[in-house]
Amino acid sequence: MLLINNMEVREMKDKIRMTAIIIVSLLVIATGTLFSLTSFMKGDIAGGVAGVFIAITILVFAIFVFMRGYKDMKKGFPLQDERSRKVIEKATSKAFYVSMYLLLAIGFLSDDLIKFRDVSQATGIAVGVMAILFAVFWAYYNRMEI
Amino acid sequence: MKTRIKEFRAKYNFTQEDLARKVGVRRETILFLEKGKYNPSLKLAHDVARALKTTIDELFIFEKRK
Repeated sequence: MLLINNMEVREMKDKIRMTAIIIVSLLVIATGTLFSLTSFMKGDIAGGVAGVFIAITILVFAIFVFMRGYKDMKKGFPLQDERSRKVIEKATSKAFYVSMYLLLAIGFLSDDLIKFRDVSQATGIAVGVMAILFAVFWAYYNRMEI
Repeated sequence: MKTRIKEFRAKYNFTQEDLARKVGVRRETILFLEKGKYNPSLKLAHDVARALKTTIDELFIFEKRK
């Protein structure tokens, strides 16, 4: 009885998690699209292209995560377990660590080598790159011994 | 670290998916455990050992560090 309840709770949590993934992905993609549109409208081609690239990358990653999760849920596997949580923790910490240097580089190079439209564009690109870094580190640690 | 999970799995005719469902983890976790590429928590090691009707000592072989 307790096992059934635990499974029901887990399935409920997984459904909530899947819904959250869809909502967050849609919000991020919508933001990326808006960011690109405003950049293109202001004549900033590089910013617009970067926005499109980031939105597409996140869309591809979201579709991959969703399909994987949906298949697993149908087969009765949990969306997350202790190993996948460990992989996420490692990827998050590495992405954060690398992005600190990246933000530092952006700070030093802005105005000289890189010309940003405004602070919001620089922040948007930095956050997008952080997301891409996370995806890359996740893919790496998901295949490595941890 | 080496494991005898595959051997015990074969003994009880469990597939990786069967064992993963019994323990409540993803199939990849069992795959990485079998390859010795994942150091499980004490709880997971205990759950896997229990699902395979054995003990942690029997299931996981710890090599001495040089």
